[in-house]
Amino acid sequence: MRVVVVGHGMVGSRVAEELVTADPTAEVTVLGKEPVPAYNRVLLSSVVAGSKDPSLLSVAGPAHPRLRVLTGVGAVDVDRTARVVHDDAGETHPYDALVLATGSAARVPAIQGVALDTGLVPGVFVLKDMADATGIVEATRSARRAVVLGAGVLGIEVATGLAARGLAVRVVHLGERLMERQLGWEASQVAVASLERMGITTHVGSSVVGVTTRRGRLDGVRFGDGLEAAADLFVMCTGTVPDTMLARRAGLTCDRGVVVEDDLRSPDDPAVFAVGDCAQPPGGATGLVAQGWEQARRVVLRLARADAVDPAASTTDVVRVKASGMSMVSMGLSGDFDRDDPRHRVLSLKDPERGRFVEVVVSGGMLVGATCLGDAEVGATLSALYTRSMPVPEDPALLMVRALSGGGPGVVSRAPADLEDGDRVCTCNSVTAGTIRAALADGCRTAADVSARTRASTGCGDCRTTVEALVAHAADGHQQDIEHDPDLVRSES
Amino acid sequence: MTLSPDRATVGPRDGGPTATHCPYCALQCAQQLVRAEGPVPVEVQARDFPTNRGGMCQKGWSAAEVLTAPDRLTTPLVRRDGELVPATWDEALDLVHARLEGIRDEHGPEAVAVFGGGGLTNEKAYTLGKLARVVLRTPYIDYNGRFCMSSAAAAANRTLGVDRGLAFPVTDLGGAEAVLLVGSNPAETMPPLVQHLAGARSHGGLVVVDPRRSATARLTEHGAGTHLAPVPGSDLVVLLALTHVLVDEALVDADYLAERTTGWEDVLATVSRWWPERAEAVCGVPADTLRRTARRLAAAAPVHGGGGAFVLTGRGMEQSAHGTDTVSAAITLALALGLPGRRGSGYGPLTGQGNGQGGREHGLKSDQLPGYRLIADPAAREHVAGVWGVDPGSLPGPGVPAVELLARLGTEGGPRALLVHGANVVVSAPNVGRVREALGRLDLLVVSDVVPSETARMADVVLPVAQWAEEEGTMTNLEGRVVRRRRATDPPGDARDELWVLSELARRFGHDLSADAREVFDELARASAGGKADYSGITYDRLDAGEALYWPCPADRPAGTPRMFEHGFATADGRARLVAVDHRDPADDVTGDRPLFLTTGRVLHHYQSGAQTRRVAELVDAAPEPFAELSPLLADTLGVAEGDLVRVVSARGALELRARVTSAIRPDTVFVPFHWAGALSANLLTSDATDPVSGMPEFKVCAVSVERVAARNARPVLEEVHA
Repeated sequence: MRVVVVGHGMVGSRVAEELVTADPTAEVTVLGKEPVPAYNRVLLSSVVAGSKDPSLLSVAGPAHPRLRVLTGVGAVDVDRTARVVHDDAGETHPYDALVLATGSAARVPAIQGVALDTGLVPGVFVLKDMADATGIVEATRSARRAVVLGAGVLGIEVATGLAARGLAVRVVHLGERLMERQLGWEASQVAVASLERMGITTHVGSSVVGVTTRRGRLDGVRFGDGLEAAADLFVMCTGTVPDTMLARRAGLTCDRGVVVEDDLRSPDDPAVFAVGDCAQPPGGATGLVAQGWEQARRVVLRLARADAVDPAASTTDVVRVKASGMSMVSMGLSGDFDRDDPRHRVLSLKDPERGRFVEVVVSGGMLVGATCLGDAEVGATLSALYTRSMPVPEDPALLMVRALSGGGPGVVSRAPADLEDGDRVCTCNSVTAGTIRAALADGCRTAADVSARTRASTGCGDCRTTVEALVAHAADGHQQDIEHDPDLVRSES
Repeated sequence: MTLSPDRATVGPRDGGPTATHCPYCALQCAQQLVRAEGPVPVEVQARDFPTNRGGMCQKGWSAAEVLTAPDRLTTPLVRRDGELVPATWDEALDLVHARLEGIRDEHGPEAVAVFGGGGLTNEKAYTLGKLARVVLRTPYIDYNGRFCMSSAAAAANRTLGVDRGLAFPVTDLGGAEAVLLVGSNPAETMPPLVQHLAGARSHGGLVVVDPRRSATARLTEHGAGTHLAPVPGSDLVVLLALTHVLVDEALVDADYLAERTTGWEDVLATVSRWWPERAEAVCGVPADTLRRTARRLAAAAPVHGGGGAFVLTGRGMEQSAHGTDTVSAAITLALALGLPGRRGSGYGPLTGQGNGQGGREHGLKSDQLPGYRLIADPAAREHVAGVWGVDPGSLPGPGVPAVELLARLGTEGGPRALLVHGANVVVSAPNVGRVREALGRLDLLVVSDVVPSETARMADVVLPVAQWAEEEGTMTNLEGRVVRRRRATDPPGDARDELWVLSELARRFGHDLSADAREVFDELARASAGGKADYSGITYDRLDAGEALYWPCPADRPAGTPRMFEHGFATADGRARLVAVDHRDPADDVTGDRPLFLTTGRVLHHYQSGAQTRRVAELVDAAPEPFAELSPLLADTLGVAEGDLVRVVSARGALELRARVTSAIRPDTVFVPFHWAGALSANLLTSDATDPVSGMPEFKVCAVSVERVAARNARPVLEEVHA
């Protein structure tokens, strides 16, 4: 079977690599218009934040004899009757199945002065590909003041990344809340305060309508209310537009993206699939790579085994912001939803002083949504529970604090003198404090005597100091100072 | 010659102590046995030795009690009219021989299977393998080490070119500034090992990855390190994310990777996919905790001027349908840090069973011949056949791994007779309900054991054998060091040394197998010569003189190899072959009906199937019955209180247990220890999905539901094992 994949991004590369493994007859050709092999676009914001080694970005797997990857080659046309793809190098690629994974482009808002015929004004960026990321990093070497337009997930990641590089950052957001798809009002307020603490100024309900330049370089932005701010770096993070050009030209139904059925096929042509950012499945696209990878898995299953039962989409919509020093995660019902819906039980905990906000939404005994800012442990536990549809406690408030979210302190500490006779001192050999005291009463004088008699501390040796303290206590006949005793032992509470 | 305190000493018959090692785990703590007055013939004393430094846990101290277990087998038993009744050795062995001959005549040699154990001495493991290949000529041999070390072995072999457990003396751990323990709980399973973690703890560098806040995880408290509690079945994600951070922050040992490994580019592509925030949503460990942990490990690595770091793995991550890949990810992490082959750093799995290492080196594995040779390799067949004096063509080919071997029993074309040595498969195998059915389908089940284990009670013939203090032999400990087991007392009644039993059985088939441990060892050494696990330079005389000998120890390099990989890996080009691996969900993942993860494991006071330790009064007192650990959050969800009777249900079976409510476990996870049998066997629940490379079953994660059955004071859970 010949399969052509158009687009060598995070999802297209996954389809191609998994397909040659899953189907021993598959001969796969991938056309990638960028000059480099597939890389991890999700991590571009981390490149801006200064943490990424570029080698880490590569997601292209090892070479495979039945996998042909053409980089720097774009598809220009699909002849669905002849089942061939024409590329911009003049080559023709026949297919039995075509997978469109053309991704999306950054949306460039209509802002006066940002664009020249040759591209964006120097100092103005979007963040969609490697060149954008390296351009921004280059610009930060001389820039001191940055403005980020759009406080969605990417905007927040870029803003915190630039702040971590020492730039003064303003975030301008048209909506009234930051990350409005993920955060409700209260969460947004906590996030604003957290950003302030990181030196990031936020302007909500505002927009940038123009930029000013000096000697051809950006030197300021103008807000919708007429105010201006000096800026030598302006990054527009205002969403993406699915790349449907090839599909439209091929006569495939497109709406916002390439329209596909539940099985990811185009309704117009069963030989054509679309996955990732360019696709518009019945439930809508989330823009998250998890959804694209899940789609890749399903397309591979479908192509490798004609009789495959299409598994239900099991994609997760957990959104975890990659902002160093700021833990933010949301899932399911979050952002703007009907908090008064009687089917939902909504609990929240707001602690702006500590930059903490936790909201959980429970319905039918399941966690159906959550937002967590400023508590990494609780956020991680909520994601794990939500992802696997685990049951939630009768009182969902228990989910909101760390002490009960697993791995917390399960032990109490006691000074040796306070140990009850029944408390185990030596776990390895099941020796209790009472047994040791009896040995001391029966003539043992040293810790070595006690060990020889009772086997205490002859296993891992961890309780040796406690045994010594008990010996000393028996010898002194008085209680040790609990406050200053370093030899605390632990027993199950 | 370096004399260690492992010298032979005069035996108790001459009034002195006998130097030997503990019968239980792979740490093989040194002991000395002195003659005792009273019902138990010997008393266990501690003995200084590098691995245990005079320490022992309660199992070791109380080991002698098993010698006089009230139901110790002292005479052969043969099933007549449904009952096991005493018989003479000749009656029992003649019967076994006649039945085996009959089955072989009717169905061919492949109708007979052999199942061994990782507690058998090297000599017994070797002889059992030889019996299968030369006398019975069956490919069907495997052992319970398949449930233990097979994933670690497969991953080490494919990347490092050899599997020796730890590639360094365990004392090397002491100098490290960081030790990463993934899925291992040595504070309960081999307590004296914890002494060697003191260095890492004093540097705040002990990192324990375990869904439970185990006794080992608690060693990280008070600034001694970090405990990561991932969702069961997600260790691979933790390891990939840690590697991701190393790459991200330019902390990898780039020169080491360039000079000593191949395949790093391929690995990067999968590592790239696991940035910490994505990993967090799958494994439940916060992204920043992953970052801090990776930095801590890197700081201890030699490339950054650190004092050394180790990556150690255990069954928690290996006993998975993706166990081999998970171990590969751990090895990748160690290689990225530049640890293996550097003195004071390294990678290694902590072997579980006493001789899990030697067992897999000397022929108990379905695809291997002595010396860790592959049975499918013509050169290996020729060498071993030469030592055995048989035609290489007469040796059978590879068999099948344990779970499949057990599944084939009594099926069309599958084995109809099974010989079991040193294993209790109706307790220790996954999905034991199915194993019990499989044994029930057999025409003949012969079990050699020291006590009437649950498996022995199903047998047609039970052969009483000697154990530990009653026998001579060698064990290979978790660091690849060969240690001597020595006889201090006689087996009771008619119980005989297993080597004698195998020799007598072989004699009835017209074959000559030695029953003398020293002779067997010398033959084993010759058979292993030139193999990966080369013992040809090791002799009883050298061991008895107290030499510390680690394999490979070929005759022409008799000093042996305490530290491997210092000058290259055991691959064709001397470089480690990195393998790109990715996470997959557990085979039996949680669903709406079974929304919780079950994980199983050990408690300190018991060992494996409990056949030994459930017969020691003080151990039973300390840990009388299994239990289900639940977090307070889950207990609240289920309406369960401490001590309530709960029912744990998987797709394969159900179990009623007492609930233990503890914050030491994740709220999505239930823990049940696996040492009990019958209706209390955790393996009624576990999944028999296996790893495609190693054949390891997925003991450590499956989906269950839990419901409250009765309150604390309802009927007690009682065990019937002493019946």
